[in-house]
Amino acid sequence: MPENIILEMKEIEIKFPGVKALDKVDFTLRKGEVHSLLGENGAGKSTLIKCLTGVNRKDGGKILLNGQEINPTSPQQAVDLGISTVFQEINLCPNLTVAENIFIGRQPMKRGGIDWKTINKRANELMERFHLDIDVTRPLSFYSTAVQQMVSIARAVDIQAKILILDEPTSSLDDNEVRLLFEVMRQLKAEGMGIIFITHFLDQVYEISDRMTILRNGHLIGSYEIGQLNKVQLVTEMIGKDIDVIFNLKRADVKEDAAYMLEAEHIGVPGKVKDISVTLKEGELLGFAGLLGSGRTETAEMLFGAEKTAQGKIRKKGSDISLKTPHEAIMNRIAFCPEDRKTDGIIGDLSIRENIMLAVQARRGFMHPMSRAEQDKLADYYIKALGIATPDAEKKIGELSGGNQQKVILARWMATEPDVLILDEPTRGIDVGAKAEIQRLMLERCRDGVSVIFISSELDEIIRCSNRIVVMRDRQKVAEVDGATCTQQDILNIIAEGSAAENGKEASV
Amino acid sequence: MKKKAIDFSVITRSKITWAVVAEILILLVCFIIRPDFFSISIQPSTGVLYGSLIDILNRSAEITIIAMGMTLAIALGGTDLSVGALVAVSGAMALKLMRWDVLEYSTPGDYTVYPFWMAILLPLLTCMLMGLFNGILISKGGMQPFIATLILMVSGRGIAQILTNGKQFTTMYSPFRVIGQGHLGPIPMPIIIMTVVCIAMAVFVRKTAFGTFVESVGVNKSASRLSGISSDTVIIIVYTLTGLLAGIAGLIYSSRIMSNDSNNAGINYEMDAILAVVIGGTAMTGGKFSLIGTIIGSIIIRTIVTFVYYFGIVAEATMAFKALIIAVVIILQSEPVREYFARRSEKRALQG
Repeated sequence: MPENIILEMKEIEIKFPGVKALDKVDFTLRKGEVHSLLGENGAGKSTLIKCLTGVNRKDGGKILLNGQEINPTSPQQAVDLGISTVFQEINLCPNLTVAENIFIGRQPMKRGGIDWKTINKRANELMERFHLDIDVTRPLSFYSTAVQQMVSIARAVDIQAKILILDEPTSSLDDNEVRLLFEVMRQLKAEGMGIIFITHFLDQVYEISDRMTILRNGHLIGSYEIGQLNKVQLVTEMIGKDIDVIFNLKRADVKEDAAYMLEAEHIGVPGKVKDISVTLKEGELLGFAGLLGSGRTETAEMLFGAEKTAQGKIRKKGSDISLKTPHEAIMNRIAFCPEDRKTDGIIGDLSIRENIMLAVQARRGFMHPMSRAEQDKLADYYIKALGIATPDAEKKIGELSGGNQQKVILARWMATEPDVLILDEPTRGIDVGAKAEIQRLMLERCRDGVSVIFISSELDEIIRCSNRIVVMRDRQKVAEVDGATCTQQDILNIIAEGSAAENGKEASV
Repeated sequence: MKKKAIDFSVITRSKITWAVVAEILILLVCFIIRPDFFSISIQPSTGVLYGSLIDILNRSAEITIIAMGMTLAIALGGTDLSVGALVAVSGAMALKLMRWDVLEYSTPGDYTVYPFWMAILLPLLTCMLMGLFNGILISKGGMQPFIATLILMVSGRGIAQILTNGKQFTTMYSPFRVIGQGHLGPIPMPIIIMTVVCIAMAVFVRKTAFGTFVESVGVNKSASRLSGISSDTVIIIVYTLTGLLAGIAGLIYSSRIMSNDSNNAGINYEMDAILAVVIGGTAMTGGKFSLIGTIIGSIIIRTIVTFVYYFGIVAEATMAFKALIIAVVIILQSEPVREYFARRSEKRALQG
């Protein structure tokens, strides 16, 4: 059914200095289909999209839109051709209203001025179509990330797009919001739009897509109808290795007589977290489960001194410690991988080497610099140990893929040889292979006697790795369960039910 | 062959390359018009080197010294507008200390009222404190650097006026003259001071981890904090340093004229210093910086000014001429232009 094909990319080649980012990749998109683009970080998904949207110039190949060759050289040109993109990071202006954001750059005019009435009316109509009941005249920043995501999709859709590219749109959405997004996607599909969907959530791929294309290391592995591959086959194709080996992770063994590494008693910050007590033994992995905003991150930040505790005490190895700044935490050999890699983790313009040595150097103070040889040694060691994909340590961290950036941040903290390693959503937005690797690294640390706190929204990985799991709801700890015996359903019940939580707490104490 | 091609693209992509090219081109034009532009001779009476090139270096000392600090402020993503005013404060204070009681010492002469070391150190200390004030406003007060340093930019000259009761003192104290007009062997003293400052700065930022911390805070303050860097301390040190360096420049300036001139000393120095930093390839958005680039930038600015004087271009056209050359340099350095040349050289290398 060639008449159905809306977009055809043929033998696309893109070279970056030293590497071939895409090597003769073919991709076709039909009218009215959702087509998932899959692959590990650095496989070339983003590069392919950037080529299509005119961000990257291609070194070879052809792009045919409705049978006509196109050569977009800028995102604006791509938009004019009917190719709209919604990126993982929201590219809107938080200080403008919802309506302004939707119409920015193409405001309807009336008598030489902007026609606010029409703008707000049309924005309202659009939001209704998305089943969103929000006030379009409020600033965007007033609404949650999910709503902001929807607004950016609404904006893309309203530009009369023929092709919609969704790059990791669901990574910051909860289940309900994902369902809402899928409804909208189905509606757009029915209207004949071709949708390219990029995600790391394989369940979502199977739920919404009609076809999928798999890339690995810049090569096309293949395009399949959704029924052709099951999930295991899909993952195997993506990473090119047998999946069992990777998922064969074992929980760390905590010795019966292991000493307490960290004890927090009744710590809290008014308005953020209420009265939390947690303990952590040597070599133990403590999971933190709970919804976004349940206080998980704030608790971690208190244990790292990033958030000043207003009350309570924190003891490390039996003695009281002061944790007023991250620097103090680092001096106490506590490490923290923050949730938002981009704003709190990477120093984008600095090299991998500098990013890795930073925390160690911060602990030593700037008057005691590490020699270049030491830095090189440290960076090379971790690049190898963590399998960071880069030609050398001098590459800017901002140019790496998400999973590799995460590994560099992990390296930064592992280099400080911490006793306590706190990881806040270390596996978010990265692919299956890298995820498993990060979990493996975490568990390896535990075996070396490091205590790990692992925060994640994905219950299966928390359960797989944790010795004990702290469940948080409404900014307080509601239960503590045993990682070896509990199930996802148990935790979901605790999160959902207040009374169940009480039972759970008693059971575990 | 391939290796060579890659090396070449590194050169064409570097911002410093274009600054150097620009400087060479300007000098070349000078040479073509007046071949004696490059001649350097020793003045028989004093034994000091003499010539246009020496003059360029000598006269660039103040801006170069200030721009060293400005580089760090800009690398932090900020800027320091107060440096020009601090130049005036430093000079006023030095002259005040040397000529404290004008009634008793009514005529300028080869004397100083307060000990010379005080006349040197107190102005520097004052400027450091003013820099510290800027740093605290920015780090602890959370003010925009532009606004915070604007306070002293505006009020600094007023402070200088108050210090000297609005008077313009002159002095003939010979040790003070050495700073701006003396020489060490054949080399003029400002060049010596400038060299010492540049080397000290380079050692401070690159032989310690301070430079990396500055870049890190400049790129991502939040991530730097979570990595254990005390960004407040870094900011305070940088602005205190820019204050101190402005003070040093102020002493050189006032020693050149052997007087304080609160209205004119250091006028537009902040702009020239920012320009030197930008020409030198450090982005106003903060992050990676280059001290060598800044030095070249400062020398370019001075070369243009000297060029204008030297060739008797009418005074009215001086500013326009300076603007024109700087515009060309900055455009040459811009991302798209450098990309274009890098691409071209890559292609050529591949073909060849």
